[in-house]
Amino acid sequence: MKNVKDVKPVLKNKANFWQIDHRVENIFSIEGIIVLPSPDAWEKFDWTRNFFGEKPKEGYFVWVKKEVDFPLSTCITIASPKISQNLSNLLVVEKGIRAKANVVCSAKENNLYGVHRAKGKIILKEGASLEYNHFHRWGQKDFVNPDYEFFLRKNSRLIYNYQNLLPPENLELKTKIHCGENSSLNLKFVINSLNSKVKVNDLVFLEGKNAQGIVRLRLLGREKSEIEAVSQMFAIAPSRGHLDCQGLLIEKTAKISLVPQLICQNKDSQITHEASLGKISEEELAYLRTRGLTEKEAIDLIVSGFLII
Amino acid sequence: MKNILLKITNLKVKSKEKEILQGMNLQIKRGEVQVLLGPNASGKSTLAKVILGNPKYKVIKGKIIFGGKDITNLASEKRVKLGLAMAWQAPPAIKGIKLSQLLKKISKEELNIFEGKELLERDVNVDFSGGEKKISELLQILALKPKLIILDEIDSGLDIKKLEIVAKIIKEKLVEKNASVLIITHSGQILNFLKPDLVNVMIEGKIICEAKDFRKVLGIIKKYGYEKCKRCETRPKK
Repeated sequence: MKNVKDVKPVLKNKANFWQIDHRVENIFSIEGIIVLPSPDAWEKFDWTRNFFGEKPKEGYFVWVKKEVDFPLSTCITIASPKISQNLSNLLVVEKGIRAKANVVCSAKENNLYGVHRAKGKIILKEGASLEYNHFHRWGQKDFVNPDYEFFLRKNSRLIYNYQNLLPPENLELKTKIHCGENSSLNLKFVINSLNSKVKVNDLVFLEGKNAQGIVRLRLLGREKSEIEAVSQMFAIAPSRGHLDCQGLLIEKTAKISLVPQLICQNKDSQITHEASLGKISEEELAYLRTRGLTEKEAIDLIVSGFLII
Repeated sequence: MKNILLKITNLKVKSKEKEILQGMNLQIKRGEVQVLLGPNASGKSTLAKVILGNPKYKVIKGKIIFGGKDITNLASEKRVKLGLAMAWQAPPAIKGIKLSQLLKKISKEELNIFEGKELLERDVNVDFSGGEKKISELLQILALKPKLIILDEIDSGLDIKKLEIVAKIIKEKLVEKNASVLIITHSGQILNFLKPDLVNVMIEGKIICEAKDFRKVLGIIKKYGYEKCKRCETRPKK
C-alpha cells in the first residue's frame, strides 16, 4: 500500500497558489508577482486569452515581473472522492527575470478515484530564466493527465525537473517545449510506476538558431506496471540537442517501451541520443549484499543511484 | 575446536550444472592468515563467493561452519553480520552512489579514512583504476569490522608502491587487530609482506596441498608450475 501524505505548500506570505478540489484555498501575490485564479486572469488581462485559448474553469495564473530570492509555490490537491479537476495554468516570466517555481500536485488519500487534467503554458520571455520543479504524489486509483507547453524565447533558460514520487493508476504526461534563438533547455523526468499505466510523450522543438536542449528520462518499472515513453527532438534551426533515456525494470511484472526519436530538418544542427532498458544487475545486488545490505536495501540503493541525473 | 573460526567440510558446489568445487575442506583459526594459491579457473574465487553466500552458486553437498554456526544456507547479508567480509577481485560499478554514501550506510561506527580520501566523492568503482578499486574494497571491509576477511586477488594489477600500501593496510588494520585473513592469489606477490601462517594449493576445485613454508611452495610453483603440485608426494595428508 502506498502512503499518500498530506502535502501542504509553504505559505509564509510568499507568492503562492493552493487549490483543493475545485476551491482556491490560499492565494497570495506580492509586489511584482501577480498570482490569480486563471478565470480571473482571463477577465483582467486580455492578452492571457491568446494563451488560454478558451475561458478557463480553474487553475492558476502567475506573472513574474520581479526577481525574488524565494521560490514561487503552487499546489493542487485532490482531497475528496471522485473529484475531476480540469485546470488551465499559465506562468509568465518577464524579460531578464530569474525565477524558481515549486509545483506540487497531489491526492490527500490513496483511494479517491480522482481525475486531474491540467493544461499549462509556461512562457519565458527574452533572457528569462526558470527552474521549474514539478512533483506529483498521487493515490493508487487516480487518473492524471498533465499537458504542458513551454515557450523559450530568445536567450532564455529552462531547467525542468519532473518527478512522480507516488504514481497514479493512470498517468498521461505530455510536454512540448519550443526553444527559441540561443535558448537552453535542461529537462529531467523521473517516471515512477506501481500498478500503473504510464504514457509519456515529450517533444522538444529546437526552433531558434543556437538553441540547445538536453532531455534526460529515467523510467522505473515497478510491480504490474506498463510504461510507454516517446521522447522526440526536432532540430529545425541550426541547434544542438541530446536525448538520454534509460529505463530500469525492478519487477518481472513490469513492462517498459521506449522510443527516442530524432528528427533533423537542418543540416547545421547536431542531435544525438542514448537509450537503454534493463533490469537490476544481479552482480551489483550480490556485491551490496556482501556489504551487509538486505536485498531490498540493495535494490533501493541501486535505484536511488539510477535516478541521480 | 573453539579456536576454529571457519570450517568447510566436503563442500561441493555447482553453477549452471557445472561442478566447480569438488569436495573442499578448509579450516581457518582465529587470528590466522592463510593463503589459497591455484591456477586460473581452479575455483578460488568461486570458493570466496560461496563462503559469502552468493546466490549464483548452489551448494550440493557439505557444510560451512562459521563461529560454530552452520551458515551453509544463510543469506549473504546475514553472514556479513556474523563477521564475514570479502574484497572482490573485480567489483561492479554502482552508478550514482558515492563511496562515502556507501561507507556511511554500512559502517558499524565512524570510519577513520587514512587512505583513498580522493575516492569518497566518486561513484563506487565507476572509472576507478585497479589500485583505486583495491583501496575502495579495503575501506568497505574496514567499515564492516569483520572477523574473517577473504581477499580475492587483492594484489593483482598493482605496482610495487601500491602493493606496499595495500599490504600495510591489511597488516596494520586487520592482521594486527587479530582478524583472520584468507588471501587468494595466483601471483603470491603480497605474501612477502604478510607472511601467512599456512598456504593451501587448490587445483580443479579441491585443496590438494597445505604447507607452512609459503616461500618453498611459491618457489616450486614458480619453477615447475602447478603440475608439480599435482604430483607432489611429500605434501602433508589432510
